[in-house]
Amino acid sequence: MPLLETRGVTVRFGGNTAVDDVSIGVEEGAVTGLIGPNGAGKTTLFNTITGLQRPASGTVLLDGADITRLAPARRAHLGMARTFQRLELFLSLSVRDNIRVAGDILRANTRRRIDVDEETDRVMERTGLTDIAHLEMSDVPTGRARVVEVARALMTSPRVLLLDEPASGQTEQETEAFARLLSGLADEGLAVCLVEHDLPLVMRLCSTVHVLDYGAVIASGTPKEIQESPEVIAAYIGTEEVTA
Amino acid sequence: MTTFLTFTILGLVLGSVYAIAASGLVLTYNTSGIFNFAHGAQAMLGTFLYWQLTYGWGLPMWLSLIIVVGLVGPAMGAALHTLIMKGLRDTADVTKIVVTVAILLGMVYLSQWIWHPEDARIMEMFFGASAKIELLGVVIRAHEIICLVVAAAIAVGLRLLFTRSRVGVVMRATVDDPDLLRLAGHNPDRVAMLSWAMGSTLAVLAGVLITPIGGGALEANQLTLLVIDAFAAAMFGRLRSIPRTFAGAIVLGMTATYVMAYFPTDWTWTGNFRVSLPMIILFVVLIVLPQDRLRVAAVRTRERYRVPSVRSAATWGGVFVAVVFLLSLLMEDSSITTFTLGMTFAIIALSLTVLTGYAGELNLAPLSFGAVATIVAFHFGVAGTGLAAHLSLWGVLLAVLVTAVVGGVVALPALRLRGLYLALATMAFGVFLSNMVLRDTTEHTLFGVTFSLFPNGTLIVPPLKVGPLDLRDPLTFLLTAAVLFALIAVGLVALRNSGYGRRLAAMKDSPAAAAMLGQNLVRLKFGVFMLSAAIAGLGGVLMAGASGSVAGDNFTIMASLGLVMLTVVGGIGYVSGALFGGLMAGVGFVIIIGTFNDLAMADPAMGTVYTSIGQLAMVATALIGMGVGKNPSGTVHDLVGSYRALRNAKPVLVGGAAAEAVLYVLALTGVIGNWWFAILTACLGMMLPVLGRMLMPAAVLGAEEAARRRSTPLELAGVEEPYTEELRRRLDRELGLPAGAAPATPRRTGFPLAAEEGDVHAVA
Repeated sequence: MPLLETRGVTVRFGGNTAVDDVSIGVEEGAVTGLIGPNGAGKTTLFNTITGLQRPASGTVLLDGADITRLAPARRAHLGMARTFQRLELFLSLSVRDNIRVAGDILRANTRRRIDVDEETDRVMERTGLTDIAHLEMSDVPTGRARVVEVARALMTSPRVLLLDEPASGQTEQETEAFARLLSGLADEGLAVCLVEHDLPLVMRLCSTVHVLDYGAVIASGTPKEIQESPEVIAAYIGTEEVTA
Repeated sequence: MTTFLTFTILGLVLGSVYAIAASGLVLTYNTSGIFNFAHGAQAMLGTFLYWQLTYGWGLPMWLSLIIVVGLVGPAMGAALHTLIMKGLRDTADVTKIVVTVAILLGMVYLSQWIWHPEDARIMEMFFGASAKIELLGVVIRAHEIICLVVAAAIAVGLRLLFTRSRVGVVMRATVDDPDLLRLAGHNPDRVAMLSWAMGSTLAVLAGVLITPIGGGALEANQLTLLVIDAFAAAMFGRLRSIPRTFAGAIVLGMTATYVMAYFPTDWTWTGNFRVSLPMIILFVVLIVLPQDRLRVAAVRTRERYRVPSVRSAATWGGVFVAVVFLLSLLMEDSSITTFTLGMTFAIIALSLTVLTGYAGELNLAPLSFGAVATIVAFHFGVAGTGLAAHLSLWGVLLAVLVTAVVGGVVALPALRLRGLYLALATMAFGVFLSNMVLRDTTEHTLFGVTFSLFPNGTLIVPPLKVGPLDLRDPLTFLLTAAVLFALIAVGLVALRNSGYGRRLAAMKDSPAAAAMLGQNLVRLKFGVFMLSAAIAGLGGVLMAGASGSVAGDNFTIMASLGLVMLTVVGGIGYVSGALFGGLMAGVGFVIIIGTFNDLAMADPAMGTVYTSIGQLAMVATALIGMGVGKNPSGTVHDLVGSYRALRNAKPVLVGGAAAEAVLYVLALTGVIGNWWFAILTACLGMMLPVLGRMLMPAAVLGAEEAARRRSTPLELAGVEEPYTEELRRRLDRELGLPAGAAPATPRRTGFPLAAEEGDVHAVA
């Protein structure tokens, strides 16, 4: 059974169906990819899974329990963490404090007792942010800022990590280090769900890939199956004959 | 039955005017994203102008109407947009709110300057009170029919505008994504300006219509607070839907008239209750409204604050207390009491530092929480009688505790919603308190207890006495207040540097991200609001003690708004900003007005000039408040920044300190007066960073920056500095050209760039 699961999730904005009857699963110890053209509903699905958006119908399950109506904070306490496509960093805090505050929040809102400073140092070491610990957030370039968001999410010791386009704005070297970090996390048993436009990265990291188009899942399978699926090729490249 | 019908019609009329006001508010909010707290003030200004034209100068009614509603209304809105609102993109909600609050205050000060508030002004109904028809035994006046017809026409007009016209659709799109709109070939600025013009016109219209209904007397504050009726109505439509806003306005109007008709008139609270009705309805709607969806904020705000370390805050706290002591040596007792009063206001302002500066939430009625604490302390905290009467420590603690609880109760309904709703709720609470509690001056019996919350309209609050510490002595009071301010300030800095403070900052910067990390936002906001209310309560009790006696006027919403505005001007993220705001709001105004009044008395020939300068100073502070949009981090931020730059220029700092010491000694020995001391100190404080830059540029700006500033960038050669032979050689060197022959005639400044380029090529 997947750790995180959506069953028939549908989200409507007015007359617009942004997510249409989506059922996917995110397994422990693996990276699950979610790809699709712009506007396919990937971020909306993330918002629904994390509680920022109420679905019109369908359920979200975490470890078999229905969490569809839980507040975002409650989901975080159950082990869910995410990053944001348009960065949501705390601009009045330093890099280190951005990560540390996640530990502060954990201590203040749950019964978990962690040594915040020690854990912060450990996470920063692991994500390779130690050298910019004392920079102001506004001085950090986008590529590394995305790593700060991941580090912040890791502070909560999540069971499932949802990443919304984490590699966009990263240099090639940064993406490489980031890929190593992700596979390491998955190897330790974390369930990772990755929305990404960098297809080679997705194909390399993911064990399962779901393809969304116009809000609906049009294909699911291993990266190899996906690459050969005629629906996926049609969605990405188009079906019409190219005349010219 | 006739009574019922009569009051129903009256309610409809009142509701229709509320609807006109509220629809203007909703219109501007939805096209510009700025909630206009000055909406009522615009109505007020327009109505006073109408009165001036019609009654003051005797213009025909129709001409005044055309001028006020047709010209001044739209012009005022368009001007506000162009001069101020346009510049508020990318600022925090707090800044937007404070800027409109500053406009509100500026308009109130301006109207009080032009139209003396103590003169009576009466406005009659259109076509007079005698023009009326009778329908089923109910008398309806022409004026009332006009109100109903105008409201209906506006409802239909707005509906058509938004659904049928291109402009209306573009207006709706403006707030969602102005950049996209610009890409689609529209001009969001022009659309926003149009909506401000319309909103302003609707406000003015509502003001002109409502004044005769309420009896005809023009009262600046009351009209200004029309904005509360408007937003109570708009709340029915979640500040978005105009049809629901109309419905809400009608409900509001009818309830108000039914209360007037059917509540027992011998119940002393009925009159106050009717006035407070919008506030009560507002709270009910707040409780009923569903929770806001957490939005992912795409806006990056411009406000920045440096957080000092606890150690440096403690050092500065010590310095502050020492400075207050040294200053007190210069003062006589009455000035010391005034200074103390300012200090207690600064403590109240600290409640804003933690709430707004650290947590990003807003309380527009800090003084009202001070009033709550004062009332509790007056009833339960006074020990002894006559000259031995004093406030006990327990009394103060109880007052602070009760205020914290009241704060929690006031804030709770709004906490599930966006920050704007909390600001609205606190403002409504402030007005409610002034109308209901502070006017509860006569004794009445409730549940077998005979009491009055605010007996005789004045509370005599004796100073605090704890063991040997007796605040009856002015100097002791001043130093105690200063020490308390320093302690709370250092405590707040320590709080900001703790895990709790980081969580507040996280909530302020990105509520969505904080929630996704597991932060319960409602609980965090609730806690910090209670803390803030407690600080305001403490400051309030001390303020009452310093004044000796307080009346309802000490706690008006206008005074609260002034304090909030000045604290934001000072720098809402800094405890020193609170000091500035508190001192300015508490005593700055009093001193400025007092000084100019004294001057006017001393020199009657120049009297009006001096009084006008005093009034101008009030309006000027509001202008500074409007400027917050340009500099949202506050003046303290700039000042601290300029002094930070001086840290390598030790001789300049030492020289400044020495000069200040000389000034102090001169003042202490009576060689110069206190006024001169204050003015010279202010000049020295402002000039020192400038002097530092002039005398030691390398130390202040850093060597590279100084060198860069000294030389003009090459692109501007010949424009910024004369085109000399030396410059020509430098250009050649930079461009790697061989040293060519000098042109026949060395040129001077001021010829076109093209010619210059030609020259260079010629040389090449």
